[in-house]
Amino acid sequence: MYNYIKSIVLLLFVSITSCSDVIDVEVQEGQSRLVIQASLDWEKGTTGNEQIVKLSTSTEFFDTTSNTAVTGASVSVTNDVSGAEFIFIDQNNGEYTTSEFVPVLNESYTLTVIHNGETYSANETMMTVTEITDLYQGLEDGFDDEELELHVEFTDPEDEDNFYLFKFQKQGDLLPEFEVGDDEFVNGNELDWWYEIEEDEDTDKIEALAPGDVVTIEMYGISEAYYGYMDILIDQIGGVGIFSATPVAVKGNCINLTNPDNYAHGYFRLTEVNKTSYTFE
Amino acid sequence: MTKNVINSTSQQWFTAMLSLLFLLVSAVSIAQENYTVSGKVSDAANGETLFGASVFLEGTSIGVVTNEYGFYSITAPEGNYRLLISYMGYSEKYQEITLDKDQKFDFEISEFSTELEEVVVSADEPERAILRKPEMSVAKMNIATVKQMPVVLGEVDILKSLQMLPGVTNNGEGTGGFHVRGGAGDQNLVLLDEAIIYNTSHMFGFFSVFNADAIKDVKLYKGGIPARYGGRVSSVLDVRQKDGNSKQFAATGGIGIISSRLALEGPLFKEKGSFLIAGRRSYADLLLKAAGEDNSVSFYDLNLKTNYKINANNRLYLSGYFGRDAFELGENFTSSYGNSTGNLRWNHIFNNRLFSNLSVVYSKYDYDLGITTAEFDWVSSITNYNLKYDFKYYFSDKFKLDFGASGIYYDFDPGEIRPTSETSSVNSFILDSKKALESGVYINAEHKLTDNLTAQYGLRYSGFTRFGGQAMVEYANNQPVVYNSVLGIYERGTEVGETNYDKGDVIEKFGNFEPRASLAYVLNDDSSLKVGFSRVAQYIHLLSNTSSATPLDVWAPSGQYVKPQLSNQYALGYFRNFKDKAYSMEAEVYFKNTDNRIDYIDGSDLIGQNTIETEILNGESRAYGLELLLRKNEGDFTGWIAYTLSKSEQRTPGGNAGGLGINDGDWYNTPYDRTHDISISGAYKLNDKLSFGANLVFQTGRPVTYPNGQYEYEGISVASYADRNSDRLPSYHRLDLSVNYKPNRKPERRFKGEWVLGIYNAYNRKNAASISFGQNLETGANEATRTAIFGIVPSLTYNFKF
Repeated sequence: MYNYIKSIVLLLFVSITSCSDVIDVEVQEGQSRLVIQASLDWEKGTTGNEQIVKLSTSTEFFDTTSNTAVTGASVSVTNDVSGAEFIFIDQNNGEYTTSEFVPVLNESYTLTVIHNGETYSANETMMTVTEITDLYQGLEDGFDDEELELHVEFTDPEDEDNFYLFKFQKQGDLLPEFEVGDDEFVNGNELDWWYEIEEDEDTDKIEALAPGDVVTIEMYGISEAYYGYMDILIDQIGGVGIFSATPVAVKGNCINLTNPDNYAHGYFRLTEVNKTSYTFE
Repeated sequence: MTKNVINSTSQQWFTAMLSLLFLLVSAVSIAQENYTVSGKVSDAANGETLFGASVFLEGTSIGVVTNEYGFYSITAPEGNYRLLISYMGYSEKYQEITLDKDQKFDFEISEFSTELEEVVVSADEPERAILRKPEMSVAKMNIATVKQMPVVLGEVDILKSLQMLPGVTNNGEGTGGFHVRGGAGDQNLVLLDEAIIYNTSHMFGFFSVFNADAIKDVKLYKGGIPARYGGRVSSVLDVRQKDGNSKQFAATGGIGIISSRLALEGPLFKEKGSFLIAGRRSYADLLLKAAGEDNSVSFYDLNLKTNYKINANNRLYLSGYFGRDAFELGENFTSSYGNSTGNLRWNHIFNNRLFSNLSVVYSKYDYDLGITTAEFDWVSSITNYNLKYDFKYYFSDKFKLDFGASGIYYDFDPGEIRPTSETSSVNSFILDSKKALESGVYINAEHKLTDNLTAQYGLRYSGFTRFGGQAMVEYANNQPVVYNSVLGIYERGTEVGETNYDKGDVIEKFGNFEPRASLAYVLNDDSSLKVGFSRVAQYIHLLSNTSSATPLDVWAPSGQYVKPQLSNQYALGYFRNFKDKAYSMEAEVYFKNTDNRIDYIDGSDLIGQNTIETEILNGESRAYGLELLLRKNEGDFTGWIAYTLSKSEQRTPGGNAGGLGINDGDWYNTPYDRTHDISISGAYKLNDKLSFGANLVFQTGRPVTYPNGQYEYEGISVASYADRNSDRLPSYHRLDLSVNYKPNRKPERRFKGEWVLGIYNAYNRKNAASISFGQNLETGANEATRTAIFGIVPSLTYNFKF
């Protein structure tokens, strides 16, 4: 809900501003950190046995050349309830995989990564997600009532606080788009989440959704803490304008037990996910 | 409930103040054979009372300047005198008086240009360095000066003109508000005919809410805030509307590209009163709609004023302002916001030495967002009712007293969601509305100690009572914010319960003594030295964690968790007039520190936030600087050079929440820090038909936060950001030019027209309003994108009056 309001403020502003261009800017160079992308996603209808953890390092902001993959680390995930441990095998390209993971909803897991003699750890619960009840296209809604938008319908469970992460990607686009939502003002209601692409009239680089476009949809049920993390991250993706919150350093849940100041970027999440796609007519 | 709560009622305080008053009064010796001359000074052409005109007994040092209502009172020993009335830009007037009894004289004086062949462009008295008055850190602008300066989009803008003076900056183009001596926008008390204005801009700062045609004068207190004002720690902007022409019907107007305006004024009730009605409207939205554009922006505002003279000692004033901005994004989103105010005043002259004014003031700011798609409206407002009674007592030529009391009742409605249809998926929701009373009593003396030394000293006692009618959340360990030492982040505290307060209950009470003092020492006829100290408390706060405040930010009162801001300011100044007052120079240094300045934890969420205490940490701020102003006041060429060297920073330790705090508890720049700020403004009058104006501005870039690294996460490049405000936007600079052409200038014709051609940002500098960092959508490489609001903006306006 807040995100509606946030977007509107930004849009109001964008609608009256005229001119933007890409310029050279000098930025500071911060400490290089380990980046942990431990997204253990359990697609509905699958066993969820196959999982990947990706390790890399952060670089200077404009760097495009460095190989950031981290190899030689040890990665494991433990179910805190059963004590079962799952070892992830180093693929020597920054990816660590297992095909034996056993996801159990609402149970707590611990991630352990040992890299360069330092031990990183994170704790998270496997979250559930409600099913998508309907998927259709429309024209009237969205920010622009003349452009197509995608509607994702689902029913918010009433008994608990729910947090959602959506990932939309139009086929052919380089970058996906993320959105988060919570049920504070809509608890227990049937919800219609819409996704629309705002055409960039100045550059023609961004085009609105059109018949024939295929959009993949991923809908995750996430923890409140991860919601908080992604909420900031999403606000800061693609840049922070004049009416956005002052950008901040985002800290995930991967802490460094050996040297607390050297915390890792990234997140250890366990989520159930609906994956589907939609072709516009 | 210990703290600095003072249980006495404000009535008791008022009694205490009165005793103090009598103490002060009895300290001044009373000469038996003294008599008083009093009255009003007004403009001969339109009957407008003149504020700041000087009334002197020639050959003595006895004299005063008129107050906001044109009133003066002089007490002197029995004798024959020549009374001299002067106001720069006006011809002087003399009156022989024999002071053997109390008497009354009202004066009307005329502007030079209407009488003299040769027109001298000259600044008003208040714009020169005023040597004797202890008043310092004041920026006063005369509307005539403002109107000479180049304008953006064809509208004369008081706020943009004030930003040309030292110590006053904006927060970048495309944002509203202004910043004084490194203070935040919400630390400015903005008064339009005594009514609080909560948002000073139209269209995100493109225009100010002040219609120059309806304004008489503008005074900005950057420090040394007199005891009669309180409630904001940084500055007071006191804007007074015109009373309306009491001699004859007159119209003023302007037709511009973006907007037009019209003001009508004239006498009422057989010259016992007058009225002014002024309106403005932008029409870009109409043009956009005509062009088939769905998105539109527009604003309009309306100023009203009328007054009625009951008799020589009683006069009533009624004034109002109503302004509104509207935005539409297609059919699915609408937004509008604006201020509305109303003020009824009663001027009463008790006797020739005691002047009083009673005001009842209403003020409201609200906004609404209509979101058709999701079928809900979001509305928010702040309303206040203000009752104040101010007195000025002209005790003797050496001693004058101001005293009074005020009470402001606030009603905060921070937000409400209203579903607009039964099928809306949004539940109705109301954020807690909050109620509070801010009260103040004050006494202030202007005391001429010797011929060379004048002091101004006073005391304000302010109180703030937060009333119930809402529940207050309680947190584990009384920590609304908790430092999570494992993850190294600040988190919302754990709610452990609620205390329900009934409407009559008091949630929290605050009280503060606010001493104010300044001293002027006249070194010689042309120069003086002044020092000042002021302490000010601020009880309401604008919540904003964005780079610039938006019209949708919400005001919040102090309470259990948000403490009042308390500021001390010290200033020292040197003032000098050169070459028979043709030039003047003002130099000031200041230092101020403010306690209880809040900042926002990383990831704070303020929209729709009911428990603001979970998003903030309490800190402090400090600012210091040097301001120089050199003016040329007379001649065909007038103008000034202003330079400010300053620093503004803040510190936000973890405090009760634990941890080191924001930026590890170290000092960091506030967004309002500008190391250098140079403004040059000039006006040149070539002849009666043609004049030119120019502004040149240079400012150090605004502190911002840039990335200091990147990493891959979930298929995107994520920026990691550096310490708060540790980078800066590129320097800001621009040049504005204007040409003013008055065709057919025949003094005998009532109708006068002029063309104003303005060029804002003449060399088309792309000043960054923001720089954002993200990935190129095609290559995926990171890039920095600059957003500039105004390139070169020419404008053409036709102004007229008759």
